[in-house]
Amino acid sequence: MSDKKNILVVDDEDVIREFLYEVLSEDYCISTAKDGDEAIEHLKSESFDLVITDLKMERIQGEEVVRFSNETNPATKVIVMSGYASLYSTSQSVNNGAFALLSKPFTIQELISSVEGALSS
Amino acid sequence: MNFKKIFNSFSLRTKFVVSISALLITTIILFSTYLSKKQADGFRRELESTSETMIRMLAINVEYGVLFESKRDIEDALKILSQFDYVKYAIVSNNNNKILATIGDEIGVFNRVRKIDKFDEFSDNFCMDFYVVDSKGKEYIELNYPVLSNHKDLDREILGITAGFNDQLEITSTTEQIGKVKVIISLESVNAAIAEARNTAILLSVLVSLITTVIGTFFIRIITKPIRLMVNATNKISQGELDHHVPIEQQDEIGQLAKTFNRMVESLKESRDEVDSYNKMLEGTIQIRTKELETIQAQLIQSEKLSAIGQLAAGVAHELNNPLGGILGYAQFTLEKLKNNSPAKITKKEFDNYVRYISDIEKQARRCKDIVQNLLRFSRSTKNVEFEKVDLNILISETCTFIEHQLSMKQIELKLNLDSNLPDIQGNPGQLQQVFTNIILNAMQASPPGTSIEIVTRFSPPLGQFNGTVELLFTDQGHGISKADINKIFEPFFTTKEVGKGTGLGLSVSYGIIKEHGGEIKVESDLNKGTTFAIIIPLQKNETESDKPSKQYVLQN
Repeated sequence: MSDKKNILVVDDEDVIREFLYEVLSEDYCISTAKDGDEAIEHLKSESFDLVITDLKMERIQGEEVVRFSNETNPATKVIVMSGYASLYSTSQSVNNGAFALLSKPFTIQELISSVEGALSS
Repeated sequence: MNFKKIFNSFSLRTKFVVSISALLITTIILFSTYLSKKQADGFRRELESTSETMIRMLAINVEYGVLFESKRDIEDALKILSQFDYVKYAIVSNNNNKILATIGDEIGVFNRVRKIDKFDEFSDNFCMDFYVVDSKGKEYIELNYPVLSNHKDLDREILGITAGFNDQLEITSTTEQIGKVKVIISLESVNAAIAEARNTAILLSVLVSLITTVIGTFFIRIITKPIRLMVNATNKISQGELDHHVPIEQQDEIGQLAKTFNRMVESLKESRDEVDSYNKMLEGTIQIRTKELETIQAQLIQSEKLSAIGQLAAGVAHELNNPLGGILGYAQFTLEKLKNNSPAKITKKEFDNYVRYISDIEKQARRCKDIVQNLLRFSRSTKNVEFEKVDLNILISETCTFIEHQLSMKQIELKLNLDSNLPDIQGNPGQLQQVFTNIILNAMQASPPGTSIEIVTRFSPPLGQFNGTVELLFTDQGHGISKADINKIFEPFFTTKEVGKGTGLGLSVSYGIIKEHGGEIKVESDLNKGTTFAIIIPLQKNETESDKPSKQYVLQN
């Protein structure tokens, strides 16, 4: 298990969390968090190679997770997800410290290429 | 003035009859009074002159009787008088006031008026007439006449032969008075004759008046009948029966009037028909315009709603994109897994996984369906507004699902404080959702990040005449509304937003919708502190009684 990269998936939507787990768990070690608080707890106790977080969640927002991750462990890559395709541009997300933006709904290919791209950079 | 008023209140016929009768009766009374007075005067004068002649004759006839104081001669002369009924009393006396003879009875004089002094045309002596009334009120004339003689010194025997010749001619300078005669004539018969004549006159007057009145009434009726017909026709026409026709076929002035009147009514009817048809046309035009206006209004409400939906689009997209992400992902995932497998090799565990994936796809697809349905219900045309039972708590929650992501994006917290005892109301969910969305979006736009919007529902239970209300409060901590603007916010096209950002119809449409629900919207605002919109919807009488009786009971305890 140790050769697998650690990925933290953060989303308040069960179905998204579960789906990412299903797709990625074969090749990666996946932890999940259902909101920003949980994510920050995870980030405090473990180190991750990649964080995939939704931007819009109750209480603590995705941006906060991105900021916290970048502050505590700059090596950790971050991919943000959003259902607001029109409201967030990739450049905006990158400016905010994310590696890439995944617009929901996304295909498996998009997901895997983003994840691989983030981990290989 | 009073008489005039009474007279004016009479009908034309009565006026005619009254005035003609009055004129006639007055004329007859005046005329007959004049005639009977004249007649009475004539009777009296005749009686007076007869009586004067009589007393003069008597005075001559008793000359020798007085001269010789021969009672018999005098009584003979007096006997002639007694043939006349109206001679009541006669007395002959000599110069010494010695009564020589009388006939009849002396009357008790009550009043005696000297009526006239007449110089006798034959003797220069006067005859005195008195008007006498006795104690019983009967009227008499008293006549006094002197007995004259120029044979005072002659013997009775000598003169007896020549008496007849000297009767009227022998009036000489030696003539002197030797006595006097007095006769009292009763006016009774004359008065009776006068009274009879007067009665006849009165009777005739009454008869003539009666006949005239009857005939007059008859003629006046003939004259006033067409007038009455005219009046009836005018009444009917004034009540709008313009088909009415005055049925008068006469050639006189009234017939002409009726003809003119009928012509006037015809032209009146024509112009009324014209006005009617114009009115109908106008009504039709108004109906068309009203329909157009209604359509435009419905379009306006619809476009305002679509504008709200546009503002919700991001929220809707997010709502849809999450389940769609699941659907797309799982579908792809399952498909790839199946492609890399073959039916023969599928293990029980793999099969179970596929079932789980596809169940997830189904579940998420249902979620999408619900979201789309909710959106469709909201956007449904408001043309035919039907009211149904609405749970406002559920409606508020559903509305918030579209907005809360937008709110959280703006870092505005949404607090729901919903009264679980809230009874259902009768309303249109789509319209109410439009109102809620509008108010929440306004609140959101007015709120800086880090503030909150609180939505409260509460229920005021019925009490006596009060049927109870359901209240919804939307409170934000935004920049508030200025005093200058707060009275205008429900006016159509009033907006404080930039050009192109708002239609200015949101709150006026909301106001209309809540009014249609029988409720009202109130607003309170403190500049830079926040705004509260309150929607108060009164309950109908049976809504609280039949819908949730158990809650009522709990509440009242």
